Amino acid sequence: MKVLMPYIRRYRKDVYIALISVIALVFATLWQPRLLQVIMNAILKGDKDTIFQQGIILIILAIIGIIAGVVNTIYSAHVALGVATDLRSDLYDKVQSFAYADVEKFSASNLVVRMTNDINQIQQIVMATFQQVSRIPLLFVGAFILAMITMPQQWWVLIGMMIIVIAVSLYTYKKMSGYFAKTQQDIENVNTVARENLMGIRVVKSFVQEPHEIKKFSAASDSLTKVTAKIGYTFAILMPAFFLTANIAVVLAVYLVGQNITIHPTYLAAITSFISYLMQILFAVINGGFLMIAASRANISLGRIGEVMKTDPSMSYVEGNSDPVEGDIEFDHVTFTYPGDDAPTLRDVSFKVNAGEMIGIVGATGSGKTTLAQLIARLYDPDSGTIKVGGVDVRQLSEKSLRKTVAYVLQRSTLFSGTISANLRQVKEDATPIQMQWAANVAQASEFIERLPLTYDAPVEERSSNFSGGQKQRLSITRGVIAQPKILILDDATSALDAKSEKLVQEALDRDLTKTTTVVIAEKISSILRADRILVLDSGRIVGNGNHKELVAHNSVYQEIYRTQKAREGARS
Amino acid sequence: MRDLKNAGKYYWHYLKKYWFGFLMTAILIGISTACIVIAPTYLGRAVSELTTYLQQWTNTATRGDASLGSFHKTLWVYLVLYLGDASTLLIASMILARITAYSTGTMRVGLFRKMQRMQVQYFDSHSDGDILARYTSDLDNIFNAMNQALIEIFLSVAQFVGILIVMFNQNVTMAWVTMGSTPIALIIAAVVMKKAGVAVNHQQDDIGKMNGYINEQVTAQKVIITNGLQKDSIAGFRKHNQKVRQSAMSGQIWSGVLNPLMQGMALLNTAIVIFFGSWFALNGTLSTGAALALVVVFVNYAQQYYQPIMSLTSLYGMIQLAITGARRVDEVRSQPDEVQPADGKSLAGIKNELQIDDVHFSYLPGKEILHGVSISVHKGEMVALVGPTGSGKTTVMNLLNRFYDVDSGGITIDGTDIREFSLKELRKNVGIVLQDPQLFSGTIADNIRFGDPEASMERVIDAAKQANIHEFIASLPKGYETEVSDEQSIFSAGQKQLMSIARTILTNPQLLILDEATSNVDTVTEANIQAAMDRVIQGRTSFVIAHRLKTILNADKIVVLKDGTIIEQGNHDKLLAEDGFYAGLYRNQMVTD
Ligand SMILES: Nc1ncnc2c1ncn2[C@@H]1O[C@H](COP(=O)(O)OP(=O)(O)O)[C@@H](O)[C@H]1O
Ligand SMILES: Nc1ncnc2c1ncn2[C@@H]1O[C@H](COP(=O)(O)OP(=O)(O)O)[C@@H](O)[C@H]1O
Ligand SMILES: [Mg+2]
Ligand SMILES: [Mg+2]
Repeated sequence: MKVLMPYIRRYRKDVYIALISVIALVFATLWQPRLLQVIMNAILKGDKDTIFQQGIILIILAIIGIIAGVVNTIYSAHVALGVATDLRSDLYDKVQSFAYADVEKFSASNLVVRMTNDINQIQQIVMATFQQVSRIPLLFVGAFILAMITMPQQWWVLIGMMIIVIAVSLYTYKKMSGYFAKTQQDIENVNTVARENLMGIRVVKSFVQEPHEIKKFSAASDSLTKVTAKIGYTFAILMPAFFLTANIAVVLAVYLVGQNITIHPTYLAAITSFISYLMQILFAVINGGFLMIAASRANISLGRIGEVMKTDPSMSYVEGNSDPVEGDIEFDHVTFTYPGDDAPTLRDVSFKVNAGEMIGIVGATGSGKTTLAQLIARLYDPDSGTIKVGGVDVRQLSEKSLRKTVAYVLQRSTLFSGTISANLRQVKEDATPIQMQWAANVAQASEFIERLPLTYDAPVEERSSNFSGGQKQRLSITRGVIAQPKILILDDATSALDAKSEKLVQEALDRDLTKTTTVVIAEKISSILRADRILVLDSGRIVGNGNHKELVAHNSVYQEIYRTQKAREGARS
Repeated sequence: MRDLKNAGKYYWHYLKKYWFGFLMTAILIGISTACIVIAPTYLGRAVSELTTYLQQWTNTATRGDASLGSFHKTLWVYLVLYLGDASTLLIASMILARITAYSTGTMRVGLFRKMQRMQVQYFDSHSDGDILARYTSDLDNIFNAMNQALIEIFLSVAQFVGILIVMFNQNVTMAWVTMGSTPIALIIAAVVMKKAGVAVNHQQDDIGKMNGYINEQVTAQKVIITNGLQKDSIAGFRKHNQKVRQSAMSGQIWSGVLNPLMQGMALLNTAIVIFFGSWFALNGTLSTGAALALVVVFVNYAQQYYQPIMSLTSLYGMIQLAITGARRVDEVRSQPDEVQPADGKSLAGIKNELQIDDVHFSYLPGKEILHGVSISVHKGEMVALVGPTGSGKTTVMNLLNRFYDVDSGGITIDGTDIREFSLKELRKNVGIVLQDPQLFSGTIADNIRFGDPEASMERVIDAAKQANIHEFIASLPKGYETEVSDEQSIFSAGQKQLMSIARTILTNPQLLILDEATSNVDTVTEANIQAAMDRVIQGRTSFVIAHRLKTILNADKIVVLKDGTIIEQGNHDKLLAEDGFYAGLYRNQMVTD
């Protein structure tokens, strides 16, 4: 609730209108039976004038009812959708303020469920609140007072009935809370399995594992089915239980009237109206009960959203100017452990790169190359030691400044669905066609882009599925270079390129980005042959730092890598 | 209307097997409604019995005879009737609750099953998040509607039938008068529902698109963070969010106004009954007193007549969401399945040769990617596919596994077109290590035995050892039981590729395809697994795509593909001697002193 109130307050005006229209609606609802009473008496008396007069009022009442109802719907929708939209917006902003480790902690698929399904639960309850809940207290209080006036002696029947109904509601509320928490959890699980099957559909199909995946999904789905069945059963008990309680109360009331009829003979005439008030109270309470249960689902969702909202980003940036800094990089005794791991992935790493240099990083798979690159881009912060870019500790750089300085082409190239140019404009808003062409030329991408019917406006599907692996990589490199960054990190970014294209990319980088510091992570020594310096990583430590010649002469790890890539050896001759 | 028909078909498909449950529910609700209709008469009788008692008691002469016995008996009957109502309603609700939960469960699994049968092309061209919204939004809406509206539909229909019977029993003319405004109500309802249907369709489609956007963005959060694109991402999100707000606004309003409109109609109808009834009473054939009493009764009926309509329309928003949900789920359900031969032949390995014969292929009509590719491979041979990126290498592999089908030409195994084999048989024989490895949530062992969930732990470990990933796995605190998922994997990119290789080695396929399977693996590790790979490839037919030519030097045949056409073919020495495209690639890559 605490999470929700500030959002509702923003729509104060709509809230008032919704509430006023509800009051009008209740007024119309309560007045109508009285009016009918008058009209019927008039009919029995044959009093045409009154019939006509009251009939007109009845029609006016109908019109008021319609208008109030429609107005109420419109403004309730304003409030509900306003709150849901704002809440979702803030949630999205929050996620965007997260460090990568925070996103990993919640996992992408779960965050998506919270931003859609959970928000929807809240939207529905807010809508229902302003349409239904607000009229319940009014109807309830009215009917309760009238019932008490009619038969004051039987107050305890009324109170007893209400206590039972409320107790049952509270009990189910508690039970339902548990079920709904499980429901949301299960929806997340269903989403996770479905999502990874979408992404890995080729794997599933090529291993013919559809039946197995269906089994896996069914397990997740069945768990959801079971808990929804429990919710259904609980709901099923409620309604008959409430009705029965009310009718037992009716029987009790009539019975008591009968026992004491000789003392209170006037109660005989009051039975009918007492029962009708009883029923009205019951309806109000039942509606309230149902809404409360619906609220229990929203409450769970609210908790799940609150969990995200309350998470402080595990990394923060200093404010400061947004100009890029120079392109030198320095690691000073850096040790880094992934969150949740015991052993560090990088150990005591120190090296220095001057602006404009090209540096290569090689090492076995899993030796920590990507990890090292991610620290330059500050995806994570080190446990100890410092990383300096442009002579400044990266933790002392403003986010803008860091991002402008460092361009990081990821090992797994990822583009956004849309168009090629939209992807490029994301990193350089004002990119002109000529600049795009320049960047694409550097990345050797113009060759295929220009053959597409729409060239730079060609569509990109999700997961860039309409491009080949190497095309994806070249598009990623294009995006990496278009803003002419001070530091360019290519994390195995040319692994899917043929040797010729790769060489052309490197020549273009040399030629067109002379001032840029390039960090090239590669498996192929040919990719880093021309580097000013090559770092050799082994199990998270730097075991070599020098140019190709030096390393070939002295570094055993490097020698081994080199041996596997020498020409001819291994070929049949 | 078309939506309604489709939704009808959809629900019929999933609900028809519960016909007995529905029949029982209908009977039970009938009984329950009868109880509710009859019970008040007993209350009336109880009151009149009490009146009699009071009269007898007040009169001193008859006070001795006065007894509350029959009053108590009547009350008991009343109570029993409500017990009957409660118990029948309870059983009916239970039945429906069960049907609701299990039928939505079947719908959910049904959608997933369908997904598994669909063509790869659909997934290549549709947003993941929009498909996922079917699970998280549409099916949830369907559940909610069924959970609350189904019982209400039964109750309302029963009440409606009940009141019709009672009305026509009382007075046919007045019954028709009471129903007089129904056509207008129907027209209003039809208009509003049509508008609401369109609006809610927009709403759910926009929600699907937003889901797609969020899913894609958050999945690529690393790109967003490293490029500092948070503001952009938020701006893009705002647009979707606002769009959802607008379309949901009209969706909610149109589906929400039906109830107040019907409430108004109920009041108007009461007015009509009063006016017409009074005129009828004054000018009719009945005596005035009887006629007026009739009017009073029918004013009551008029209100009861609209009661079920009002309860139903108050749930209309939910119902419309369920109709739209059915449409959206059905949209996926109506996508074509993968093409399967009616009685597919079985395939037990390649006996002689596999032939790719003059294959033309395009992903999009009019944009041909492969222009007459022909390759023939003998059993046990290794064919290497090289060529610039985008030349169509992966595409050829997509065709071998029938992720896509050729436009013209054909692929044959021992003379039989692969489209004549059952898909399952074909794919069981073809093992492919994809360019983009993908892991699934579960333990590391589960991932390695993905292709054969029954595989023993020894085989899992053996496969991991061959792929050179065993040592790393063993170094993890939980070893093979470590839980991983694709997004939270603890593997580096190269290690993921090794996992993917281990996964394929375990299945021991007849035809092996390696699509840049080691592109992110260092060359030392690659050389280490080369021996294992050689062993795996030994005796099997294989296609290998690699840019690091070292891995393919020993191929029996190297096929050079450029722009979808084969430009060179032969073994390493032959192609080097020819000094063509391949020779150029080779010289570019190898480090020479
Ligand atoms: N998100 C992560 N959480 C935990 N461990 C990780 C994560 N990413 C990578 N690792 C581990 O860190 C080590 C180094 O990975 P990485 O830097 O990606 O290697 P590479 O040198 O191949 O690029 C690997 O052993 C890997 O298992
Ligand atoms: N799903 C798809 N839809 C449209 N075009 C595609 C699709 N997949 C690949 N392409 C295009 O087909 C061509 C060949 O791609 P591919 O076979 O992946 O190349 P590679 O030789 O690098 O493996 C490329 O131009 C690519 O853009
Ligand atoms: Mg890496
Ligand atoms: Mg490819």
